[in-house]
This record gives sequence, structure tokens and C-alpha cells, in this order.
Amino acid sequence: MVLLHVTDLNVSFDTDDGVVRAVRGISFDVDRGKTLGIVGESGSGKSVSTQTLAGLTRGARVSGSAQFDGLDLIKASPSQRRSVLGRKIGMIFQDPLTSLHPAYRVGAQIIETIRAHDRSISKSKARERAIELLGMVGIPFPSERVDEFPHQFSGGMRQRVMIAMAMALDPTLLIADEPTTALDVTVQAQVLELMRKVQAEFGTAIILITHDLGVIADVADDVAVMYAGTIVERAPRDEIFYQPHHPYTEGLLDSMPGRVERGQPLRPVKGAPPSLIDLPPGCPFAPRCPYRFDRCDQEVPALQTVFGDEQHQSACFLPTDIEERKALREQLVEKGGIR
Amino acid sequence: MSSDEVLLSASGVSKRFTVGSRGLLGGRLQLSAVDNVSLEIKKGETLGLVGESGCGKSSLARCLTRLYDVDEGTITFDGRDITNLGRRQMQPLRSEMQMIFQDPYGSLNPRRRVGSIIGDALAIHGSRGKGTRRQQVQELMEIVGLNPEHYNRYPADFSGGQRQRIGIARALALKPKLIVCDEPVSALDVSIQAQVINLLQELQREFDLTYLFISHDLSVVQHISDRIAVMYLGRIVESGPVDEVFTASSHPYTRALLSAKPIADPRAAEQRDRIVLAGDLPSPISPPSGCRFHPRCPKAEQDCVTVVPTLEVFRGGGPDAQKVECLHPLEADQDLSSFTPSIADTIIGADAAATGSREVAS
Repeated sequence: MVLLHVTDLNVSFDTDDGVVRAVRGISFDVDRGKTLGIVGESGSGKSVSTQTLAGLTRGARVSGSAQFDGLDLIKASPSQRRSVLGRKIGMIFQDPLTSLHPAYRVGAQIIETIRAHDRSISKSKARERAIELLGMVGIPFPSERVDEFPHQFSGGMRQRVMIAMAMALDPTLLIADEPTTALDVTVQAQVLELMRKVQAEFGTAIILITHDLGVIADVADDVAVMYAGTIVERAPRDEIFYQPHHPYTEGLLDSMPGRVERGQPLRPVKGAPPSLIDLPPGCPFAPRCPYRFDRCDQEVPALQTVFGDEQHQSACFLPTDIEERKALREQLVEKGGIR
Repeated sequence: MSSDEVLLSASGVSKRFTVGSRGLLGGRLQLSAVDNVSLEIKKGETLGLVGESGCGKSSLARCLTRLYDVDEGTITFDGRDITNLGRRQMQPLRSEMQMIFQDPYGSLNPRRRVGSIIGDALAIHGSRGKGTRRQQVQELMEIVGLNPEHYNRYPADFSGGQRQRIGIARALALKPKLIVCDEPVSALDVSIQAQVINLLQELQREFDLTYLFISHDLSVVQHISDRIAVMYLGRIVESGPVDEVFTASSHPYTRALLSAKPIADPRAAEQRDRIVLAGDLPSPISPPSGCRFHPRCPKAEQDCVTVVPTLEVFRGGGPDAQKVECLHPLEADQDLSSFTPSIADTIIGADAAATGSREVAS
């Protein structure tokens, strides 16, 4: 069942250098209880798109719609949006230190979140709930730690506090923007495990934004790959990893160390992403694409169903037949376009 | 390729920092960043140094290159004891050991042109190549894949990946023997990261370079290293050839660290056993007694609480031996998740609580 339905979302910023078109006409759905992974490199628009849903992109020009629980988040008034954010949509960010107020005890910050949405909850009740939440996210001795300050927590513990706060009002959607990027791998494993646990227990839908395909492989059900402000490919997780259609997805996977024999060179995507102020006229990936042909420079490809699978869509002119697409890849490998 | 000739060796190196305000008795706290570390880097090889933030990787690198004075131990570079060399005596050696840093934004002076950033080293140490300094710098720019015409641009005109190339050109300028790469690709996007890794490997072949490669990204380290050393709380807990350590690690910490490595392959990720360690890295100000890993170790036994293990040869011999610092190392076929610690639970609980709250300085 669809919980969040985003259609044709555009976000642009006016700067001294020109208009930055950060998000260009993206559409996606998030199902109840599922995890949508949005993957892309810096500047691909993955964070801006979800920040816009939360009303955090001040000064941006925004169009499109985002239906959530009978409300269009894009057209909603600030007060309408506030009634949803925090209560039905929880958010966690990359840096848990700057997301927590350094001068307030963590307990007070969780209590504030709870009482901001429901004044009828007494302070002592809210405090009990805060302790319960801290225990749920695996903070040892929650009834003591509730009175400590953020600096007394380690990075992984702070991220747990953020998750506790985001889950305080039992939201149906959790937006996690690079939640483990600042953490070490062993702590990352703990936090991802916790997110899985929370999802299994409360049926929370999650939008997980990350640049790390390893994290996507671990927790996502569906994946959207973003490049230069657009979704270039969208599919269930295994299709993205084992049958990518778009050359950018393929290139990202090829760039990963561990996909080639040790001692062999890696297979990076050539060049660098385009400027979002001065985009190429055709496909934004064309200048870096090893499959590029004339049409790519003239027309912008739209998302279309590929490989006969309704759930798998790709914005690329390459053949949508799986055998033809695979043959092209093999030709390219043979020619040495991909080492 | 690596030979058996040792370029840099450290023996029993320790580094402590004094931190914080005076305590009750007027004494200041000691943070033990590097504790009794011995290692060798062979000519032409890449030694990968892995570990979590705050484990002392960067401090160790700074001790080895004598950017820090060490408190104990000796460091030998190219057959010469450099442990106690003064600033002036070190200066000629500086050109032989260079560094590449993580942050391509913070490590380049934004107000200076690329040409002078790269050329400064040549000016300080005296040019040794052919041609004018400008020609030499432009040649370096070409080697690292930058357009030599951009000689007069500022760092702000370059992308993250290009800036890292500037840092590499700067490190190469003096034709060093050793380059310490401290998280050189961590700040880069994956497609750009692969370009820089390839460049580092090409340069190593072409100029016969030796790398100490520090990273928290295990996939990158596995790809680029010949041998790796795993650090935990200031000590090297395991070292050896990369394939041996990755396929048959014997220290429980290495095992847990490797099992937490994200794999971009959903089926493989689902199949493996993941060992999720409890708690956080303890504070290096008051490290746990005995084996520093014992409060988090699934395989800890009673003696781990009191006995400090030393790094011993576990498998193989000679310079390619796999070494481990553990009283009860794991055999290749043993599964860490099948163990439960056989020390009193109260100790673990208390330690986890004590360490969970404390800030770990890096």
C-alpha cells in the first residue's frame, strides 16, 4: 500500500551564478512498512528532495506534489506540515551531534518532541516514554542517561538517541538521510540492525538516503538511483544489483572495490558529474557514458519500463530487451570500454 | 612489487598525550594513543592500516613520519635510526616521506595557486629535476591527470577528486620513497574514488613507491594493500598478508570488523554471519585491563582480564607471517558467533556502561 506518493517534484535554487536545478521532475512511491533506498553521489539531489518534503528547503522554488496521508506536503501550510512532521514523519540526519541541541539534556529534547504534538501528555509521562524509547534503541541504563547531555554520548549512541526521538510518536514514515555515514563500520552495523528492528516491530516505512551501495544492499527493498537531479533507474533491490539497465547504475557498481580481482585496476566512471546550473541538453549522463550515441546528446530520456518488468524502470535509450542489453555490455567489455 | 628489504620499521613505539584539566590529585590524565606498536613496511609494498576512528591510526602514522615525537620505542627509516633526530636533521629526510590527507578541501591553502602549492616543496628542498620549476610542476600535473594549463588556478576551481590529485602531485614532487596516505579517498564519491585508487596504483608501479595506506574502508584496503595491520585502541591486534587476514582472521576483533563490512551484493550480504559487537570503543584515557578488547570480545576468557597479550606469529613465518595479539586466537574454521564470553557478566556490563558514555578522542 502506498504511503507517500511523490509526483513530478522540482526544486531549484536561485544563486549568483544562475539557477541550480537540484531536483528535476522526480516521482516515486514509498510503500507502508517497506524501505526505499535512494542512492546517488554528492549533488545528485537525493537529500534536497526529501528535505523539500519536510519543508526544510527555504528559499527554493518548488513544484510538484507529494501525497502523504491525505495531505499534499508541497502545498501544505507550515502549520499543516508541522502537524505531520515529527508525529507521522520522523527524520534522522547524518550528523547526530549537530542535530541535537548541545545545551539541553537528551531527555528534555525527547520530551519536547513528544509534548510539542500533544500537550495533554504530562511531563512525567513524557519522561517515562523518553526512558522507554532510550531503552528500546539500546542505550544502557536509560533512566540515568536520560539526564545526560549530547556530548556525553558517543557518535553511535547519539544516532540511537536521534532514532529514539524520531520514533517518539510512532511515525508511519522515517526519513533517514545518510544515518550511518559518520559512523564506524561496527557501529554502522548496530544502527542498521536497530532500524531493521524498529521497522519489523512498528511497521514503519523508511526512506534511506545514502551514497553507499553496501548499506543499500543491506536494508533496502526498493532502490532509486539518482543522477544530476533525476531518478535514472528505479527497481527492486536485487534487479538494481544483478540486472542494472542504466549505464550509470552499472558504472557505480563497477566502481566498487571488490568487484575486480586484487591487483587489477578498478573500473571507475570517467569524468565528473555535470554542473546543475549548466546541464547538457540531452541525457545528463551522456558525457560520461561509455554507450553514448547521437540521440543521447539531443533528447532527454524519460523513465520507461525495461526488461518486461513493471517495477523496473530506467531513463536510458539502450534496448529494453534483457538479452540485447546484456549483449551490448559484453561488446563494451570486449572492446575494452570497461576493463 | 615488494621486496623483502625493509624501508621503515617501528619497534615498541608508544605515544601518549596529556589531556584535560588537572584531576583531584593535581595530576593530568594521560591518553595512550599508540601503545607498544611494532611494524615493518617493506620497499615497494602497500601496508594497509585499518581500525575505527579514535584507534590511533593517524597518531601512529605521525609517529612513524616523526611529525610527533615518540615517548618510547625506535623508528628506523631506510636503515637509519630516526627516533631522536632533531628538526634540522629530519629536514633532508622529509622529502623522502610525504603525506596525502583525507580532506581535499582543508589540506590545500585556498589562497594559493595550484602551481605554487605543488611547487613549494621544490622551492624548499631545492629543485632536483630538469627544467624550470614551472615545467616540473606542469609535468607533475600531467602525471596525476590534471590539465597543466590550470597551473595558475586556485583550489576552489577544482572538484574534490581533482583536489586530491593536486595533493598527490604535491606528495610526488620530491620523489619520495614512502607516501603515507591518510584516508585519501574517504571524502570522495565512489566513481571518483575508483579513479584516484587507480592513479595511486599506477604511480606506485611507475615510481617504485611504498605506501602506508590508512583507511576505515575495508573494501578499499583489501583492494590496494599487500599486507594489512589492524589497530584497536592504540595497539596492532593483527597483521599479515591481506588475503590471509581477510579470509582467515584470527583475532576476534578483526573477525567482527570484517563481518560488519558493507558488501554491495545483497545475496552475499544475506548469507554471511554478522557479528554485531556490543558497546563502543573504550576510552584510551583509561583503557581496559589485560587485553584491551576483552570487554567487547565474544570469546573472552578469565585470563583476558588480567594478562596483556603480545603480537605473536600465528601462521606462516618470515616477513609474511600472520601475527596476532590474542591469548585465544581463532582458527580459520572456528565461528566467532558460536562463542559466549566466559567472564563474569557484571564486568562486561560495568565496562560497557563506563565506556559507552565517554567521548573518544581521535
